[in-house]
Amino acid sequence: MKPKRTHILVCTGTGCVSAGAFDIMEALKTEIKKHELQDEIAVVPTGCNGFCENGPLVLFEPEGIFYRRLKVQDIPFLVEEHCLKGRPVPSLMYTPPKEKSPIPAMKDIEFFKHQKLVVLRNRGRIDPERIEDYIAFDGYMGLAKALEMSPEEIIEEVKVSGLRGRGGAGFPTGTKWQVCRDQPSTPKYLVCNADEGDPGAFMDRSVLEADPHAIIEGMIIGARAIGAEQGFIYVRTEYPLAVQRIKKAIQQAEENGLLGEGILGSDLKFTLSVVQGAGAFVCGEESALMQSIMGKVGRPKQRPPFPAQKGLWGKPTNINNVETWANIPQIILNGGEWLAGLGTENSKGTKIFSLVGKVNNTGLVEVPMGIKIREIVYGIGGGILGGRKFKAVQTGGPSGGCLPESMLDMPIDYESLKSVGSMMGSGGLIVMDDKTCMVDVARYFTDFLAHESCGKCFTCRKGLERMLEILTNICDGKGKEGDVELLEELAIMVKEASMCALGQTAGNPVLSTIRYFRDEYDAHIRERRCPAGFCKALITYSILEDKCVGCGACARACPVDAISGEKKQVHKIDADKCIKCGACAEVCKFDAIDKS
Amino acid sequence: MPKLTIDGIEVEVEKGTTLLEAIRFLGIHVPTLCHNDGLTPLGACRLCIVEIGKPPRSKIVTSCTYPAEDGLYVRANSEKVIKLRKLIIELMMATVPSSKTIQDLASKFGVTQCRFEPEHEECIHCGLCVRMCEEQMMAGAIGFAQRGKDMVITTPFDKTSDICRQCGACMYICPCCELRCQGPNAETTVCNGCLNLEPPCLDTYDDKMCFLDPCAACELAGPFRSDMKKKDEA
Amino acid sequence: MAKLKIQDLKRIRDESRRTVLLREGTAKAKVTVHMGTCGIAAGAREIMDQILRLVEKHNLQDVMVTSSGCAGMCSHEPMMTVEYRYTAPVKYIDLNEEKVAKIFEKHILNGEPVPEYALGVGSESMY
Repeated sequence: MKPKRTHILVCTGTGCVSAGAFDIMEALKTEIKKHELQDEIAVVPTGCNGFCENGPLVLFEPEGIFYRRLKVQDIPFLVEEHCLKGRPVPSLMYTPPKEKSPIPAMKDIEFFKHQKLVVLRNRGRIDPERIEDYIAFDGYMGLAKALEMSPEEIIEEVKVSGLRGRGGAGFPTGTKWQVCRDQPSTPKYLVCNADEGDPGAFMDRSVLEADPHAIIEGMIIGARAIGAEQGFIYVRTEYPLAVQRIKKAIQQAEENGLLGEGILGSDLKFTLSVVQGAGAFVCGEESALMQSIMGKVGRPKQRPPFPAQKGLWGKPTNINNVETWANIPQIILNGGEWLAGLGTENSKGTKIFSLVGKVNNTGLVEVPMGIKIREIVYGIGGGILGGRKFKAVQTGGPSGGCLPESMLDMPIDYESLKSVGSMMGSGGLIVMDDKTCMVDVARYFTDFLAHESCGKCFTCRKGLERMLEILTNICDGKGKEGDVELLEELAIMVKEASMCALGQTAGNPVLSTIRYFRDEYDAHIRERRCPAGFCKALITYSILEDKCVGCGACARACPVDAISGEKKQVHKIDADKCIKCGACAEVCKFDAIDKS
Repeated sequence: MPKLTIDGIEVEVEKGTTLLEAIRFLGIHVPTLCHNDGLTPLGACRLCIVEIGKPPRSKIVTSCTYPAEDGLYVRANSEKVIKLRKLIIELMMATVPSSKTIQDLASKFGVTQCRFEPEHEECIHCGLCVRMCEEQMMAGAIGFAQRGKDMVITTPFDKTSDICRQCGACMYICPCCELRCQGPNAETTVCNGCLNLEPPCLDTYDDKMCFLDPCAACELAGPFRSDMKKKDEA
Repeated sequence: MAKLKIQDLKRIRDESRRTVLLREGTAKAKVTVHMGTCGIAAGAREIMDQILRLVEKHNLQDVMVTSSGCAGMCSHEPMMTVEYRYTAPVKYIDLNEEKVAKIFEKHILNGEPVPEYALGVGSESMY
């Protein structure tokens, strides 16, 4: 095969695909053919780069030049300039906020600079639908090494690495495997939990889309260590691309003798199948997930017995998260000590976070454990959108806690987050600015959880429903004294007296916002005021007489004709007509619209 | 044979026993609603919660579903447990104020207030009827549908069931629709018809110290009575 | 496809390495052919083809071939810059097939620059 001089790596993660990555890829191929460069330049689809906010992304290697937010009409110019004439196109490159000159190379961009890629090492580098690409970067070499080790040695290596479950609870993976291996009952099953239901989180989806073989390899190694012969990957149907890629990867692995009987010429036997879930948040809970695999209603079960003792069909089952499985091949290949060298004393390795909300660079980031929240928000995230003030960051998905500014310098690891009333969860990071109302945030997440609770435990179902009722009242300006105390009491009850992880964490959003933002609750209840100016029932719009120049922009923008006034005279808002949409405040160039 | 400690008493039970069975074997009272000896435990109502392990590393579990494990340290009536139970009963009362079973529980556990708007629902989702239908009547005509706050008990697709023999077992076992509370203030959710007491020993010992049910003995004896009144007024 | 053994796995890895090495950004030598309008007119396309053919012939896995724009010295096209690992880049001018063959032999394969064809040492900035 003739070597190509340039590889154009087109990000085809879901984010970029929805921004039109496949069209960009087609356009690139067409243009390259037009210039007869198809023998020299390869166009390669890759998994998610994580910088989704700037999609569609394209990377030109070997120069490492990074183009973003491409449109199909940019492509002819780009190909002619870059591929034919060898001139990179600055106008299509990434320019950080507040700066003027673009940064051409991917490795120099702040967003990528601070990351440490272990699980996502192949993102944006290999074609996830080609097994050869995965093998080229030492793929399945961990498995080859594991086949020469005894199961005990593999488990020991995982224990040494200090790897803890990436699904949120942080249980030591090696110990979990040991318990499952020690069960006398057979057959044993492996499960990969890819049911990621947190709003705004997509770490598992990205791994499935960018590097599906890493999960398969991790599970085969796990099968050898635990003595399982069958495995399931439980992924939600809402992830069509992930389902397609993991299915294709399983098929390739089967064709190459990496799954099935006699794996890599050894006597190891392991089969893998994909089970699609219907998208219930509670099915991410392991016991509910197993119920769902067995075709029953996804409703959690009492533990003990634990899945390692009695899981699928009453047999020992080891269940790990996508990210945990994807760590395994590299632990075996590089040794447990290597991973143990990353991170903090009790939390080893790296963690993928989906950084969303009011930051400049939203996307997917992989960082070593123990990194400070500030480094993620201000370093990688590039600070708060529009230069506004940071207010809070919510970690760990909908049932995590909201942490205030004073916690920004706290290192991220399982214990620290728990001690301040939040959790690692699967790795969501939602950044909020000073325009965000914390009571409304608590209401939003409680609403989500009240809908997604399975409904079995009275405390979780009714407790959340009542909490939502009280929170809605507070947001609507109908709060009364004692509501906050009652909320606290209910949240503690939901946490303590519910059975599964969903209920036991569901009180976090309310408890943490009360703990750190009590003044906002009080302002809502006592002063009937929303400090962030968000809760519609608690704000009235008026026009400041000394600032209004009478341009009439607000009156034109008002959808209900609530603003009146003569030209060049001070305008007025009719409070009875006003629907509090805020359109006037957005168009006013003189800050004359007052929201209080 | 697992050996465990329940409220300071050591007990040895047969393997496969649940905590609730072990606790009741000792004569200790733990309230239940969704539990029935003839049906598989569900753990839906959360009334039978107990505290296992020693604080601060203790946790709350439902005794009806938790297996009696060797070496377990169980407190069936700790302060935390009683506080949680009272709130659960308060919530239940607000959901189905007309249920005599729930009003009786409220009296028994001294729930004297209801801070929630009464909903006047007809169902507490304890699942007794579902299990009764499936396990004892061998019909399986009804089940849970939807999830979270939308959860309902109904026949498949809300259509008249072919399997239902209209035996009425579901209604017989229901704690909500069978017995109606006839108390003086049933509409305002707290009927106050029965005895309302709180065990005064809790403040001192963090454990309910006697097993008389309802706990009226020390109340009537006098020494705590004045304290109790003050507390109620405050 | 046949069932893989461990040795097959290693073979596939080494073969595929070559294709994907480009994405690593690490190579022994980097050859930049200046392909501005002037360069193309002067025959840079043929130079590029020749380099790619030579790379293929010698089965090189660690040589990176890329293009760049006009260097501003249009009268001396076709030009190329050869960057051997850990040494300063060298710019060659007025290239033809024979010169390229020699530069390939000496500089790209063995890291010895060919001063007689060179313009100087150094590289222009990207833009």
